Amino acid sequence: MRAASYPAFALTAFQSRLVYRNQVWASAFGDLVSIFARIAILTAAFAGAAQVDGITLPEMVTYALLSGPLLYWEYSRVLYDVGDAVRTGDVAVFLLKPLHYPSYLLSTHSGHFAFECVAIVVPVALIVGFTVGLLPPASLFHGLMFFPYWAVSWLILFILACLCGLLAFWLLTAFSLEWFLMAIMSLFSGAIIPLWFLPTPLATLFGYLPFAWISYYPAAVYLGKLDVTATWLHLGIGLFWLTVLSAAVLALWAKARHRLIVQGG
Amino acid sequence: MAIIAASSVEKIFRQPKRQSGFGGALRSLFSREHTEVRAVDGISFAIEGGEAAGYLGPNGAGKSTMIKMMTGILVPSSGTVEVLGREPHSNRITNAAEIGVVFGQRSQLWWDLPVRDSFDLNRHIYDIPASRFADNLARLTSMLDMAGYIDRPVRQLSLGQRMRAEIAMALLHDPKILFLDEPTIGLDVVAKDVVRKFLAEVNRERGTTIILTTHDLVDIEEICPRLIMVDDGKLLFDGELRHLRTALGSRRRLKLEFGTDPGAITLKTAQLVTDEGLAKHFLLESQQTSILDVLTELGSGHDLKDVKLEEPNIEEVIRTFYQNKPALAGARP
Ligand SMILES: Nc1ncnc2c1ncn2[C@@H]1O[C@H](COP(=O)(O)OP(=O)(O)O)[C@@H](O)[C@H]1O
Ligand SMILES: [Mg+2]
Repeated sequence: MRAASYPAFALTAFQSRLVYRNQVWASAFGDLVSIFARIAILTAAFAGAAQVDGITLPEMVTYALLSGPLLYWEYSRVLYDVGDAVRTGDVAVFLLKPLHYPSYLLSTHSGHFAFECVAIVVPVALIVGFTVGLLPPASLFHGLMFFPYWAVSWLILFILACLCGLLAFWLLTAFSLEWFLMAIMSLFSGAIIPLWFLPTPLATLFGYLPFAWISYYPAAVYLGKLDVTATWLHLGIGLFWLTVLSAAVLALWAKARHRLIVQGG
Repeated sequence: MAIIAASSVEKIFRQPKRQSGFGGALRSLFSREHTEVRAVDGISFAIEGGEAAGYLGPNGAGKSTMIKMMTGILVPSSGTVEVLGREPHSNRITNAAEIGVVFGQRSQLWWDLPVRDSFDLNRHIYDIPASRFADNLARLTSMLDMAGYIDRPVRQLSLGQRMRAEIAMALLHDPKILFLDEPTIGLDVVAKDVVRKFLAEVNRERGTTIILTTHDLVDIEEICPRLIMVDDGKLLFDGELRHLRTALGSRRRLKLEFGTDPGAITLKTAQLVTDEGLAKHFLLESQQTSILDVLTELGSGHDLKDVKLEEPNIEEVIRTFYQNKPALAGARP
């Protein structure tokens, strides 16, 4: 095995998506509809007010569009990919090859993500930007920092999906886990209600849980809601969570592998 | 030197005992009761480089379990397995690079991709030099007649086409050993034949060691001079297929037809098994007994019309072997 095989997985995943072009149209259309629906709800909620709790309507619209890959990325693909491999025992096929399964997953799904960015996220952002209007980043610094935050956001989401998928090893169902993950995500990540609208104690608590890095922080940083120090600090905390969660996935994978080689799945 | 050595290998699966009903499900959550399945039970054998060995046994005999232990994705409960001088599981990555594995019931091809793309991913995974990859791909494509579908997505292939692609995929990196778990399962006669001829050729021409499991004796007859027969996790026979009859002590059948019923006949050289009056069926007492011995003992004076000697059918031999195995266990050459 050589490291070059991992980019090859990413590229292959990217190419394989070209086969299902109709799915792209469907996803892009679905995302557009849901974003416009959210914008309509926000506009109604603001009811002509210049701002609510210090947040303007254009800021909210921008937030709705940028609150992370959660909205645009089909993380359930990871969950089912892992869950099915584990449930059917197909994961053994990966043990027969000289490769590291979690790294394989990461490269494959980064390929899917790259595809969805190019085919769905950017076009949707452009359409929304030209029709409703997007705010520019609060500053060059905030605009640049948005990218590492987005990467952390995607990685945390990817790892949470892997964790849930691996749990299928013991719980034998990926379906209920998907609902569980989705519920947690919409509650804690700030995807639906930004943390700044929550009561302070809740916002503080949620602000330290890893889910906030999925939706809330990338968009909040872009909008300049965190000052320079806080931006660096929270990137650090995000990376910390990333490390902890990666360790958890690797530990769970080691446990699953052990079970697989002793009990045969 | 043996490149695969199994010594007193055992694999015991322990599964929590499941009780029926909702209450049972609750109870089994807390109970520590287990059922044990002894899938592989004290098996030893050694396989030399370049051999082709067939691992034969009925469903549930423990064939897949043994293959999984040799490929390093399952560890024995006791005993040792060595492949190419290494313990396969603790050297998984090194081992994986030197073996090829095909599971008849599990695909290793990427479902949505053209066959060629799966092959290309393997080139990266096994770090195959470009020129060697091109040579192997060209050779395998023509030998397995894959040119017609190599650019089609795997999901559109027939089972026979897919299986040929699976086998090619496992050979692209020139493995020293090829393991196949039921490679002909579900294939039609023609597809089976293609696979068998190809495997025999790979073994003969390229010297690739082949271990395949099957419950179809024809696979063994056409590919593997060496037969390892198992049932219920236990080794029943290990040796050349053509020695199986002798090893099992199966006897040839002799049919004597008479013009008029000579009445009961008892002989020392052959044992009467069925008496239809005009036709009588005997089993020869030993491999050394010839028809002449029997006819001499029978003597003249009977209205003998015809004599027919039948070699036992190997399928039948094996069937009786499995049926009588409590009595025959341990009957090894
Ligand atoms: N992971 C497992 N857990 C429990 N029992 C198993 C497992 N895998 C196989 N077995 C049992 O072990 C025995 C041998 O199985 P297997 O090796 O698959 O047989 P074969 O491949 O010869 O049909 C069977 O009784 C089967 O039910
Ligand atoms: Mg089997």
